[in-house]
Amino acid sequence: MKNKTWLQSVLNIYLIEYALSAILRQKYKNFFILSIFTFLTFLLASVFFITNSIKYELESTLEALPQIIVQKIKAGRQDDMDVSAVDEILSIAGVSDAVARVWGYYYFQNAGVNFTLVGVDEYENQYKNSLEKIVQKFDFNNEENIPSMIVGQGVKENMSRNYYKQYFNFIKSEGTLKKVNIAGVFDADTQLESNDMIVMSKDEVREIFDIQQTKATDIVVKVVNPEEINTIASKIRLMYPECRVITNQDLQVSYQNIFDYKSGIFLALFIVCLFTFFMIVYDKASGLSSEEKREIGILKAIGWRVDDVLKEKFYESFILSFFAYVLGIGFAFAFVYIFQAPLLRNVFIGYSELKTSFELPFVFDTQTLFLVFFLSVPIYVAATILPSWKVATLEADEVIR
Amino acid sequence: MILTPEVLTLCILNILFAFFAIIAFVLSVKIFLQWDLNATTQKQYLLEKQSFLAATIIKYIFAIKVPLFLFFIFTLDKISHVLTGAMCAAGVVDATQYGTYLLILKVINLYIFAYWLMLHRADMQDENQPYTKRKFGLFIAAFFLFIAEVVLEGIMFSAIDVDKMVSCCGSLYSSSATSYVSNIFRIDTEVLLFVFYGNFVLIGLFYLLKNKYLFALSNLSFIVSGVITLIAFFGMYIYQLPTHHCPFCFLQNDYYYVGYLIYFLLFIGTFSGIGAGLLPASNTSRNIGYKISLLFNGLYVLLLSLYPLFFYIKNGVWL
Repeated sequence: MKNKTWLQSVLNIYLIEYALSAILRQKYKNFFILSIFTFLTFLLASVFFITNSIKYELESTLEALPQIIVQKIKAGRQDDMDVSAVDEILSIAGVSDAVARVWGYYYFQNAGVNFTLVGVDEYENQYKNSLEKIVQKFDFNNEENIPSMIVGQGVKENMSRNYYKQYFNFIKSEGTLKKVNIAGVFDADTQLESNDMIVMSKDEVREIFDIQQTKATDIVVKVVNPEEINTIASKIRLMYPECRVITNQDLQVSYQNIFDYKSGIFLALFIVCLFTFFMIVYDKASGLSSEEKREIGILKAIGWRVDDVLKEKFYESFILSFFAYVLGIGFAFAFVYIFQAPLLRNVFIGYSELKTSFELPFVFDTQTLFLVFFLSVPIYVAATILPSWKVATLEADEVIR
Repeated sequence: MILTPEVLTLCILNILFAFFAIIAFVLSVKIFLQWDLNATTQKQYLLEKQSFLAATIIKYIFAIKVPLFLFFIFTLDKISHVLTGAMCAAGVVDATQYGTYLLILKVINLYIFAYWLMLHRADMQDENQPYTKRKFGLFIAAFFLFIAEVVLEGIMFSAIDVDKMVSCCGSLYSSSATSYVSNIFRIDTEVLLFVFYGNFVLIGLFYLLKNKYLFALSNLSFIVSGVITLIAFFGMYIYQLPTHHCPFCFLQNDYYYVGYLIYFLLFIGTFSGIGAGLLPASNTSRNIGYKISLLFNGLYVLLLSLYPLFFYIKNGVWL
């Protein structure tokens, strides 16, 4: 005892070696458990990786979003806002810019999709860098006085599938048609925001949606100091009690809630899997072959204590489950970030005709690794406690006989 | 109700623990009442077998509980992003009336479980197993505390209201706060530091005197004085802000997770100090306990003292 170092007393190398060979001796049984367990951790890890990536992607577009949005609410729905409010908001100290936006969703019945129509003014400050670039690059009033528009990649594909290659006929709210030329296609910084977008001049959007010149869809406010966003938002709330004031922080929180909710639901369903697995392991570990019984008998006959057998069984289950955990995490990394998670990502992105195709960005979050660890290894080890104890307390003379 | 994957994970593991703890509890009660080492009955033989199962379960729960406690703090930090007004775990702990009690209970349970493990070790090393009755008696008490913790944790997470405004740590841990925490800031810094360093000197003194009860007692008071001084004085220097005292914020990335190191040192130091006092052990192993306690408490004092010292060297003023 005295010659042992501290490490040796905690970790017994020979026991680990014995545990390893014990696992290998039961090749088929352990391979079966390993593969199921790897698959479970893989599934779990993949789901968390995908949500993390999408959340990251959304949060990076969030930074490009306006800091404060002011919407008018009438009868519980969003209503057009007076453009004159812009000047009043601009008078609040700390506000660097306020822009009245004209935009809306246009339902294209043939394809069954919604386009996002965004109106821009050439001589106005744009609230997004991507729009600024578009305004500089394209001229919306080209020859023949036919208005033109810039469309996103997904919109372009959808239109040409319906034989609108050069132009598109919008149905205005009073029922007549409006022809708009397609002037170009753009890739915005992130495909997630631009795929279903159509950009044209504000006047055209007003005409299509029948919005008066003095009205706008909403107002976005830029604040110089991000620390002041909440104060300015509450000031706007006081000025326009009938309006809804949304800050980008609110959006971020609601994103986190949505994804926590989605992965929470998945996890709740997953619990059933976990407990089924728990039962399988329990069952597998309890059913001892006569060979295994004899093995324990011999070990005890040559002087192993109950504690030693328990320790060896613990090493066995820990090695197996930890190996499965590492494998599962590794597969999940490859599946999500190399193969872009086919099938599984649709659960989170949702299915639509104009579904954005984007790469899942690589996000390394140690907390997720811990989360998956706590959901896998302890549960497996727990399932083996009772069977291991039964094995360890077998009587040597009874089993060898 | 808040249903993030982290909270669900904590709940799943809590249910699993509760299930196993109940098994261990039933066995403990049986062993505690009927254990008789000198008996040669079938029953005693069975009890001896069952004591292994109970011990394995308790060891298992403790082994997972320690990393899970860190994960719990991590989870609180993450939830704080969702709650309006909260900036770190302090806001979440304060969001419901149960949070503070839960945290205290969790820490107490950690100490008790760790103490149980030490007792178990001492018990197993002696072939007469003299402490078996005592350790399972201890677990019977620990079981109720543990179940209280599990229930309280469930209640706390279901009581958190996402839409309710909570307090930020900046306002909770300030002299203007109305809670009992604010009383800490009324104490003079000189008195506080005198008590803190004095307590540490006492630990050293009792080590030289080799009085185990006084040593354990001084360690117990060191937990209190250490945490209070950390909040009231050293926190300011970690944040380099005279107004910020939060004992949770330095667990975050911005301060290089130094909080985990701080609390780890305090836990190991005081635990082995108390353990050395209360454990029935041989003189050599008690000596090791003394030394570990002294070492880790010393590191705790050193680490905390370095913060204001470096601040003074860099800026030439005290906060």
